[in-house]
Amino acid sequence: MHLAIVLLWTLFILVEHDLFPHSNSELVTQHYLGMTYENRPMYYLKISQPSNKAKKIIWMDCGIHAREWISPAFCQWFVKEILQNYKTDPKIKSFLQNLDIYILPVLNIDGYIYSWTTERLWRKSRSAHINGTCFGTDLNRNFNGSWGSIGVSHNCSSLIFCGTGPESEPETKAVARFIEKRKSDVLCFLTIHSYGQYILTPYGYKTDLASNHQDLKAAVALKEKHGTNFTVGPTSLILYKNSGSSRDWAHMIGIPFSYTFELRDKGAYGFILPPDQIQPTCEETTAAVMTIIEYVNQKHFPNSAVAVTSGSLWLGLSVLFTWTLS
Amino acid sequence: MQRRSAARLGPLLLLLLLPLAWGEGPSPPRADGELQVSNRLAGQAARVALHYLNYRTGSPSALRALGQVRKATVKTIPGIGHKYYLQFTTEDYKSSQNVGTCLATVLYLKRKPRPAVNINCTYTKDQKQTREDDYSFYKKMRQQTKPITGNDIPDSYGNIEPALEPAWALAVAGSSYLMWEKSTENLGYFMAQVKNVKQWITKDDSIDFDYSVVLHEIPTQEMISCHLRVIWTPGHPLKVKYFCLSENQRSESGEGSGTESGSTNGIFNEEEANF
Repeated sequence: MHLAIVLLWTLFILVEHDLFPHSNSELVTQHYLGMTYENRPMYYLKISQPSNKAKKIIWMDCGIHAREWISPAFCQWFVKEILQNYKTDPKIKSFLQNLDIYILPVLNIDGYIYSWTTERLWRKSRSAHINGTCFGTDLNRNFNGSWGSIGVSHNCSSLIFCGTGPESEPETKAVARFIEKRKSDVLCFLTIHSYGQYILTPYGYKTDLASNHQDLKAAVALKEKHGTNFTVGPTSLILYKNSGSSRDWAHMIGIPFSYTFELRDKGAYGFILPPDQIQPTCEETTAAVMTIIEYVNQKHFPNSAVAVTSGSLWLGLSVLFTWTLS
Repeated sequence: MQRRSAARLGPLLLLLLLPLAWGEGPSPPRADGELQVSNRLAGQAARVALHYLNYRTGSPSALRALGQVRKATVKTIPGIGHKYYLQFTTEDYKSSQNVGTCLATVLYLKRKPRPAVNINCTYTKDQKQTREDDYSFYKKMRQQTKPITGNDIPDSYGNIEPALEPAWALAVAGSSYLMWEKSTENLGYFMAQVKNVKQWITKDDSIDFDYSVVLHEIPTQEMISCHLRVIWTPGHPLKVKYFCLSENQRSESGEGSGTESGSTNGIFNEEEANF
């Protein structure tokens, strides 16, 4: 029910942009990324405040695994949040001066549709193998990051089949080509999954730590919304070992902040989350993602954060001054 | 190999060597000592302990899920296996409210298939209420003249019909037996969905159900289909029979009647230092 509402909202916003060109069309535009195996076009949304300034990029994709329905729901919700608040929220206004947000609401479109029409718990893509007797590659094992080395199967019948080679799948290629071309501008790569309640940092294929501490701050912001606990850490240590993940690949080509989010829950309902948890999950995850984007903004564009910081600094000092006088 | 001799040099050295042990591909740690609370093996062991608890408690209204691991240590028992010593919080399976903490040991044996569990927990949920809820489900099912049936619980959109919710919970309790049996140090399970439930009307005191369930297996991501037969009387051990088929057509079956070893009394025989 709630998913339908979020979907309708997003459609409304996109339609509104076509019917009323002077509302959101300045901010959000739709762009072609590539084609899926079953020849469906992949579109990403670019949220960009028009300006003369050269921007850096935040990338977020959802729905790489078909059955993780809360993930595309979250991408839709996040877009809605930005569009509803970009004129009034000072933090959003601030980061949109410097950053473009690219959102791919459903990466594995073929698999996602298949999970709606045919098999709810489908995970992989829908590419045909072995003369059409076996279907699907795990797109999150198909990226060129230590491809095929660990935590995969080379057998199509497995749900962690890594494909016939790195980037063998058109969906993977579409994302990888796009990011590769812009990698010097991409500051942050976020990929949204479920379930487990984790914020995962590189790497999955080895146990070297590639950490900064923004993941921890994001988990704190997330918990403040509804009390939900997320576990933070390197994939290989807190989840399981895997190779060929988009997160690992993104970090290996030089993108500094690369995280996998595993949203609610922790296994009681798993992939089939009750509808009353959709909105709270989206709210808390939005808080976490905003924390990361704000950090990236402050780190790379320190001057733009000064206005906000000095304002609160003055406020703090005047409060202190008033208190000491009383 | 070098870690075996290092094991004699003391716990501190072991802790330093732990990251090296973990670098060894997907195999479990060979070095003993304290684990980070977020370590996947600690969470995995805690879940195994909870599968055992949920099965032995046999109460659909009192199912528990893992909250957070507070402390975890692992010890190698040469020739036997790995023993985990755990302290963790638990949540109500449905509401995610905190319902108490547990101390548990989980021994993964090299020879016997199922992990040996000792577990003792505090429980903060109103036990009178859970007994009443169990009994009210039981009474309703006993009064059925036509057997209840259901499909896809929850449905694709996450909905569970209120009338079928206790039957779903009983499936979780029954699946817990099978998930306990199948779990290894590296392979873990969750019950993803009840594909089908059918009641058997019985002449005795118990209520009796046939289930088809789908289990989610980690880290393979496979969905395992199993048939479960669950026979239950409130306050008595669950009787569970199961038969599973996986993608590779491996089949496994088993039977539990609440008399399996792994008691809840042994916990205080453990040296405190082990925790």
